[in-house]
Order: sequence, then structure tokens, then C-alpha cells
Amino acid sequence: MNIADFPWLTTIILLPIVASLAIPFLPDKDGRTVRWFALVVGLVDFAITVYAFYTQYDLASPDLQLVESYTWVNSLDLKWSVGVDGISMPLVLLTSFITTLAILAAWPVTLKPKLFYFLMLAMYGGQIAVFAVQDMLLFFLVWELELIPVYLLLAIWGGKKRQYAATKFILYTAGGSLFILVAALAMAFYGDTVTFDMRSLMAKEYALNFQLLVYGAFLIAYAVKLPIFPLHTWLPDAHGEATAPVHMLLAGILLKMGGYALIRMNMEMLPDAHVRFAPILVILGVVNIIYAALTSFAQRNLKRKIAYSSISHMGFVLIGIGSFTDLGLSGAVLQMVSHGLIGASLFFLVGATYDRTHTLILEEMGGVGKKMPKIFAMFTACSLASLALPGMSGFIAELMVFVGFATSDAYDPTFKTIIIILAAVGVILTPIYLLAMLREIFFGPENKELVEHEILVDAEPREVFIIASLLVPIIGIGFYPKMMTQVYDSKTQQVTAVVRQSFAAAASQSDDSMAIAPQRAPALVDG
Amino acid sequence: MDSLYQYAWLIPVLPLAGAMLLGLGLIAYNKTVSNLRKLSSTFIVSLTGAGMFYSFAILWSQIQGHPTYTRFFEWASAGDFHLSMGYTIDHLTALMLVIVTTVAFLVMIYTDGYMAHDPGYVRFYAYLSLFSSSMLGLVISPNLVQIYVFWELVGMCSYLLIGYWYDRKAAADACQKAFVTNRVGDFGLLLGILALYWATKSFEFDVIGDRLTELVETGALSGALAALFAVLVFLGPVAKSAQFPLHVWLPDAMEGPTPISALIHAATMVAAGVFLIARMFPVFEEIPTAMDVIAWTGAFTAFMGATIAITQNDIKKGLAYSTMSQLGYMVMGMGVGAFTAGLFHLMTHAYFKAMLFLGSGSVIHGMEEVVGHDPTLAQDMRLMGGLRKYMPITAITFLIGTLAISGIPPFAGFWSKDEILAATFAAKPAMWLVGWLTAGITAFYMFRMYFSTFEGSFRGKNEEIKRQLRAEQLQRMGLAFGPGAMNPRELTTEPPTDDHSAAPDHHHSDTPHESPLTMTFPLMMLALPSVLIGLVGTPFANYFEAFIHPPGEVVEVPTLGIPADFDWAEFLTMGGSSVGIALIGITLASLMYLSRKIDPSAIAQKIQPLYQLSLNKWYIDDIYDVVFVQGSRRLAKQVLEVDIRIVDGLVNLAGFVTLVTGEGLKYLENGRAQFYALIVFGAVLGLVLISGIT
Repeated sequence: MNIADFPWLTTIILLPIVASLAIPFLPDKDGRTVRWFALVVGLVDFAITVYAFYTQYDLASPDLQLVESYTWVNSLDLKWSVGVDGISMPLVLLTSFITTLAILAAWPVTLKPKLFYFLMLAMYGGQIAVFAVQDMLLFFLVWELELIPVYLLLAIWGGKKRQYAATKFILYTAGGSLFILVAALAMAFYGDTVTFDMRSLMAKEYALNFQLLVYGAFLIAYAVKLPIFPLHTWLPDAHGEATAPVHMLLAGILLKMGGYALIRMNMEMLPDAHVRFAPILVILGVVNIIYAALTSFAQRNLKRKIAYSSISHMGFVLIGIGSFTDLGLSGAVLQMVSHGLIGASLFFLVGATYDRTHTLILEEMGGVGKKMPKIFAMFTACSLASLALPGMSGFIAELMVFVGFATSDAYDPTFKTIIIILAAVGVILTPIYLLAMLREIFFGPENKELVEHEILVDAEPREVFIIASLLVPIIGIGFYPKMMTQVYDSKTQQVTAVVRQSFAAAASQSDDSMAIAPQRAPALVDG
Repeated sequence: MDSLYQYAWLIPVLPLAGAMLLGLGLIAYNKTVSNLRKLSSTFIVSLTGAGMFYSFAILWSQIQGHPTYTRFFEWASAGDFHLSMGYTIDHLTALMLVIVTTVAFLVMIYTDGYMAHDPGYVRFYAYLSLFSSSMLGLVISPNLVQIYVFWELVGMCSYLLIGYWYDRKAAADACQKAFVTNRVGDFGLLLGILALYWATKSFEFDVIGDRLTELVETGALSGALAALFAVLVFLGPVAKSAQFPLHVWLPDAMEGPTPISALIHAATMVAAGVFLIARMFPVFEEIPTAMDVIAWTGAFTAFMGATIAITQNDIKKGLAYSTMSQLGYMVMGMGVGAFTAGLFHLMTHAYFKAMLFLGSGSVIHGMEEVVGHDPTLAQDMRLMGGLRKYMPITAITFLIGTLAISGIPPFAGFWSKDEILAATFAAKPAMWLVGWLTAGITAFYMFRMYFSTFEGSFRGKNEEIKRQLRAEQLQRMGLAFGPGAMNPRELTTEPPTDDHSAAPDHHHSDTPHESPLTMTFPLMMLALPSVLIGLVGTPFANYFEAFIHPPGEVVEVPTLGIPADFDWAEFLTMGGSSVGIALIGITLASLMYLSRKIDPSAIAQKIQPLYQLSLNKWYIDDIYDVVFVQGSRRLAKQVLEVDIRIVDGLVNLAGFVTLVTGEGLKYLENGRAQFYALIVFGAVLGLVLISGIT
């Protein structure tokens, strides 16, 4: 069989799911076999992903690649169609990388190990499917399906308030996804042909008001996921109760689904509405950055603090998406990948610290750096990455968003200036809460109460390995960002071209009823 | 000769490789690597040494007239945006490379002696090496983005090194303060870079300068806006070079080990601000408003730093304020257009200030033998005195440094400071007056420091003073925490034991001893440039100016001998007046602290408000604490309250309402699927209807 015809993506998606079905039949009493099994499946799937992309993916092309399409339910026109392009490919890679590491991070889990690893593997396939499927109905299905393992992982293995957090999570996200279904159906039935295929949906011409309504519906769903203020409040609760491996998935992958879907659906399919909504996205992005940075600063609970910092970082994704420039969008994608790595590493370290101190309250910690120097060093490195230190991936992503937005010709200079100044305030706020956190955990004289009651051992090799695996790409991208940006550059250019075309059309229609106040015609700018 | 330049990237990369190797070793094989002390330090020192020789070769080649060499590679791109990184080597870079590598090399040798008993010896070398790498990367940067990258990286190294003794509370606070204050400056720098890029579409210094001038001339960009951009960029140097109002981090940074204070917080990193101004000179010099802001910031900082330094009793804090003051001179020089003079002072200051700091470290090292590893006691000059007898090499080198900074000819500081003052006098006489007065104060506080440390009789065994110092420290800690946050248990008379050494205290000696050769050797080596290096830039044969001058200006290489048209009268009045006020300062200091003819505390009593103003650092830390630290905490708390009570509540309420209706529907319609279908149907119908109507 020809290697190019092999159903790579289907294999990547189904392998973990099929493997997870075998877990109940594994002879396993102490939970050791099953974790090795899950880890090997994860590694194999990761290897297949890397191999498939390495051999089959053409970086220069902005089109969908590794495409497969099989009719599933003929009467519903439901197709199993998958494919990746520049926006989804890095995220698929990120997903299989982070999930494999999360399985390794879950090594000490002793409660119901079979169920736990079953759910982890099911998540593995489900998450990749979200990024890979090319059929709207299928997208909705996998989007919903992947919520169930998360719900169970939260509700069974979470902290004290896990029931509340899990319920809140499922209500928010399921409530949001209802909007996806509505919008998807509306788009499918619009016009003469009924189709769920994403590329066909992109090709359809929608009336502006219809676009705006559908855009709004999508935005609500993805705003919950990303999250965007004010729909973010499930996240601190969910993150505050999740265990470290689930945490890594939540921050590393699930949040990126929102950003991915915003680009895939809102920008690509509804470019005319995007022109109208972009200023709102940018404003919400700035609100995310500042608001979440401040709440993070005031939080005394370590997990919640990092959770809010995730929200803050997602603000840059929004600004990049709303920038109408290649550079800004490229920065937004890079920020998603970068935060996937950095967020996962920070949450893992928070979990590792909690395993030792058995408290998340900062007041009850202090001076633990002396007993745990390796964790201290790794925590410092990851915090510096999170505060966008140059040489690490976060910096270049934020810089690209900044430069992209600053050079955008779609906005009025005053609006741009205000947005940039406010977003740059985040540059000051982020180190304040992250460094204050480090200071309260690790610096200063040892907290006598803590040292007497808890055994503070330093990081074990497994933990060092996980963080090292995450730091290598973080620093690699930071040192040579082109390595990452060239992966999706052709695609982001294509998307930007689409929205810019809509923008030019909207700008030329001066009698437009919709307010595009902060925007102006492209011809006027350029100094 | 080009092969010399092709491999110049090795200069920053070598120490980086060294740091990474040690860092990985420390993470992976902590015990083994921590014990390879001599091997690690020799490795790092030789890497830096290699970089130093390489830098000298490049400097020599530049002096021979090799043209500027630049190399680029594409670093990031998106669409038609391309961002390149690389390195450029011109006269300024060559000079900075030599300054940084020589000081770093000597400081690293010194570190071996100073940190000999510290358990984190290897980690310290790894940090030092990482810092050297970042600093060298900064000076070879060909564009603003790369400068910003390394600018932040040196800031990170400074953070790591100030917090090196992380179990000390003061160090923990200081490193955070340093990083955050610098980020405030970087905020401005980032905005400035973005604004300049927006206006000129370039990150390169000379291109920005040309295009900006053109834009202002054609009226496409208003002059006020151009000035604003320049001032935003200048905020970066304000923070990094500890200029008012972002100077507050530098004195606190003295919580780091003394070699760091010498290398980072005196000689190299803090000078990076002046370096950036020099790099941006083509942009700044076209904008008079920006130049005025720069000049006055520098002048005010010089004066303020000097007035605070007068009352400091901690030897390192005193030197820190003097660094701030001297950096103020450099910035002021840059601001009045004296490009060469500012950089000349940067060079001379790097050598003599590094020596002074290393000397203070040697003093502290000696004092620790007597009073123990307690910075409150070991660094306080009230417990010192008469150390010249015990530590002659330290005393002589410190005296040389003191003479150099006070501007006594022929020591290095005289020539560079005098050049700045002469240029200032020509441009702005009022500002010259400030600089001139500051020169007098400088001489006074430096000799106060020298006399109370090295002359008179040794007071290290005086229990009365020790008790007083401890009481003062407790009082300070109480203030820092605020009365409410004070834990009553901390109020015991037992001082917090801040041992930076796990080794048992070995302070059974009654008198301090001279430091080991690894510490005195760098002192002696630094004494040479502190005495001699000023001679390359004398006003009658200014070789320095021939080498370092603003881009675009032509300066002839001086011939041997004094040129016929040299204005002796001007030189003698300018030089004479600054030497004169320095001598007044020295005389005053000797009357007060050497012969004790005047009682300093009596004077302090008489001018109590002024004395308090200086002692409390012009109350700036207190104001910032109330306004920014407490203010931001309060704001953050309120936002969190809003988030928990209002935002979460409202969204939950909305969700609750839907849920209740949903629950109701579930009973009515018997099942969720129907509910879904109904909603979906209704919504689709609605959408189609609405879009059909419009």
C-alpha cells in the first residue's frame, strides 16, 4: 500500500480510543501494568503523528493535507472527514505531545487507575479529533464527546470541591456548545445546498446579518472555552480542583480549542462578520490581559493563581486574531502553542509542589527552596517563560502580536495606541504576580510549621524529565522562532488575506449601517 | 582579517555554553557537580578569558581601521514581515566588549576567593557566566529588538543574582523589586520600539534616525510625537541605569553577593542604559526636547544620588548611591550631546567602580571574621575603622578608586568627568552648576567612606554599636512590614541569623585580615586602568574621541604632542574649578571623619529636615510603597472581589435561569433530546427568518 494513501489521521485518532477499550481486560491488580500500557500507547501515537507529519506534510502549502473522507451516515450527509492544515497541524502535534507527558505525569495516581487511564486515552483521541475533523456535525460531536472524560476526570479525581467544579464546567461548556450546534445547522441549511463539509461551508456566500448572528453564536461557545471575560469563571474552579495531569490537558490543550475554532470558523467562514467583530475581540483581549492579571495577583490559592494567568495569556491570542495582519495572527497561533507548553509545565509544577506541601495556600508555604532546589529551579524557569522572557517561546509570541497590532492598518491610531498601552501594562503586571508567587513559595526563611509536618523531598527524575521535555521546545522556539512560524506561515497568510479582503470590501462601502468606528480604510495609513 | 569577525559570535556563545553545561550538570548530577568546584570555576574563567583575548583582538583590529562588520540571519517571519538577528561590530561594540570581558574576567577570579565557603559556589559561576553571555549579546546587537531581548536577559540574570541568597528575606524582596522596576522601564522601551517601528518601519538605529528626521521635516509626524517616542525609549535606560524616578531598585540590589554588585550593578549592566542611549544617539540628537529630558534626568539623578550617599552607613549602599550618581553624570553628558565624554566616563567608571566594590567586598570579607556573617554588622562603616593596618592592599586600591571618583588628576575619573562638565558648561551653565556641586559632594562622601573605613581606630569589637545597629535593623524590618503585619515573635532581640555560609562560623578573630590573593589580585589589576586609562582621553590629545565619536562625525586622530591651538585657559578654569570643589569636599571630610575637628552629628542636628531627607532617601521608597505597592494590591483585591461576587454570580445566575427553564422543560417534554431539538429547531427557524427578511 502506498504510504501516502495510508489513513494517517484516522489512525492517530482511533489508536488511543481503540487501545482504551482494551484497558478493562488488562490483567492488572496494582495499577502498574495499565500505566505502562497507556504510556506506550501515547508514545506510539506520538511517534506516528511525528512520522506522518514529517513524511506527508508539505510546509509550503496552505491547503488541507492528509485528507480522508468516508461517508458515514448517508441520510444525514454525515462524513468522517479529517485533514490538517497550518493551524491544526501544530495543535495536533502539541496535543499528542502534552497528553503523552500528562500520562507520565499521572504516574502516582492510585485511585481507580483503570478508569483513569481509560479516560486519558479516550481524551487523547477525542482532542486530536477536535483539531482534525473537517465536518461541522462531526466537529460538534467530538467537541461534546471530549467533555465527558474531562467531566469524569474532574468529578472523580479532583479536590474537595470537585463536584461543584465539574458540574460548573459541564454546564458552561455544554451550554456553550449548544450555540455551536445551532450555528452549524443554520450554516448547513443556508442557501441552496445542504452540507456539513467545512470547505463547502467556507465557500458559501452568507448575508451579512446572518453572518453576524452565527458569528455571535460561535463566539459565545468559544468564549467559554478560550476563555474570554466574562465567561471565564468556570476555569478557576475547574483548574483549582483538577489534579496535575488533568490540569495539563485543560490548560495545555482544551483552552486552545477555543482559539483554534475562532480562527477556523469565525475568521475563515465568516470573514465579513469578523471585520465587524474584530474590534470587540481586541477589546476583550485587553480586558482578559489586565483583568485576569489583577485577579491572579490577588489570589492566594496557587492553582487558581496560575489559572487566572492562563486567562491573561489568552488575551494576546484575541488581539492577534483581531489584528488583520499576518504577523498578529501568526503571533496568536504561536501564543497558543507556547502557552500550551508553558501552561502545562507550570500546572505540572504546581501539582508537584502540592504533592509535597499538601497545601495550595501561599501563606502556608515559604522558604521551601532550600529543601527542593530542583523544583525551585524548574519553577523559576517556567515562570520566567510565562512572563515572556526573551529566549523563551512566550516572548516572541507576544512580541509578534504587539508588532502585528501596532502595524495593523485596520485601526485608527488612537484606538491602536490605547490598546497597545493597556496590553503592555500586562507586561508589568505579569512579573508582579509570578515573581511574588515564587517569592512566597520558595524564598525567605523556611516556614517552620510546614517543614515540621511535611516531608519536602526534591524532584525525582521523572518530574525533571517532564519539565525538561517541555522546556526544550519552549527554549527552542524562543531561540529560533522561525522553526515554528514557518510551519504555519503559509496558512496564516491565507487566512489573513481572506479577512483583509472582507475588510477592504467593508471599508469601501461607506454607507454601511454597522458601526466600524475604530476602523478606517487601509489606504489612509502607512507612514 | 575577516575570519576574526566571522567567528565573533563566539564571544557571547562561549560563556552561554559554559553556563548551560554547568546548569544541566547541577540539575542532573547535583551532588557531583557541586563538588567539582575548582574545575567548574576554572572552566568558566577560562571561557571568559578566551572571550577577553578575542575582544582585545577585535579592538585592535578596529583601532587599525577595520570597517564595521555586520552579519544577519533571519530569525522570525510572518507574511512579508522579516525580523533578523545577528551581530554588528564597530568601534563602540569593540570598546564595550573589552570593558565587559575584562571586568567580568577579574570579577570571576575574585569570586573564587569571596565565595570560597558558599555551598552554591558552582551555581554562582553558572549565573555569572550566563550574565556575561547576555551582556555581550547586548553590546553586539545590530537592532533594537535584539537589544530588547538581551536587555531583558541581563535583567533576568540580575534577578537571579540579587536573589542568590534566597533564604534571606531582604534578598527575596530586592530581586523582585529589581525585576519589576526594570519591567516598568521595559514597558516604555517596548512601546517606544513599537512606535518607532510603526513610524519608520525599521528596527535599525541609523535607519530609524534618518527616517524619523525625514518624517518630522516633511511634517508627516509631529515633532512632539517624535519626542514622545524618544522619551519612551529612554524609559528603558532610566530603569536599567537607575535614573530618577526608577532608581529605587539599585540600592536594594546590594543584597546580592558583592562580586555581583561590582560586575552587574556598577560596571556593566547598569551602564547598558548609557550604551543604549549611545546606540540611539542618531535618533535622539535630532530631537532637542528628548535631549533636554535626558540631560535633566541625568543631572537630577547625579545630584540626588550624591545627597543620599552622604548619610549612608552601609558601605555597599553608599557605593550604590554613588553609582547612581555617576550614571547620572553619564546620562547628563549624553543629553547635552557629549557622546564621547559620556562613554569615556562609562569606561573609566567601570574600572574604578568595579574596584571600589570589590574593595568593599574585601572589607566585608575581613569584617566577617570579626563580627560574623551578618550583613547588618559586617557592612556597617560604624563598626569599621583603621582597616588600613590590617588590609593594606585593599586600603591602597580603595584610596586610588576614591581619588579617581573624586576627580583628582591624573586619575581616570578626572579626565572623563571633566570632559562631561566642560561640555555641559558649554551647553547649559545651570546644569553645569548642578554637576559641579555634585562633584564636591562626591569627593566628600567618598572620603567620608574611606576615612571611616580605613583610618582611625578599629571599632569592630564595640558591643555598644553592635546593639544599636541590631536595634535599628529591627526597627527597619518593622517599618517594612507595616505595623499590622508584624509577627510579635520577630521582635525578640535575637537577630535573624542570615548565614550565607553553611560552614560553622569562624569569626573568632579579633582583627580582620587581608583577603587572599585571588581577591587582591583583581583589585591590583583594576587599579592600573583606574590610574592610567584617563590618559587616552586628555583634552589635549584625545585618542579616545578619535576612536569613539557619534556616527557621522569626523574626528581627526590627534598627533603626538599638544596641538598649538589648544585652549589652556579654558581647560585650566574648568579643570581647576572641579578639582577645587573636590578638594573642599575632601578637606571637609577629613575634618569631620579623620581629625574629628567637626562633629558630624552636631551638623546633622542643626539641619535635621535635610538630614532626614537624605537618610530616608528623599522618602521615595515610602511614597512608592504607599502609592504603587499598596495601591496595586488593593486594586487587585477589589478586582478579585468583583470577579467572585459579581461576574461569577451574574453568569451563574444566567446559567441558573436557563437551567431552571431547562429542568422545567425536561419534565414537560420528557427528555433532554426533545429539548435540544426544540431549541435547535426554533433557533434555525429564527435565523432563517431573520436572514430571509433582510
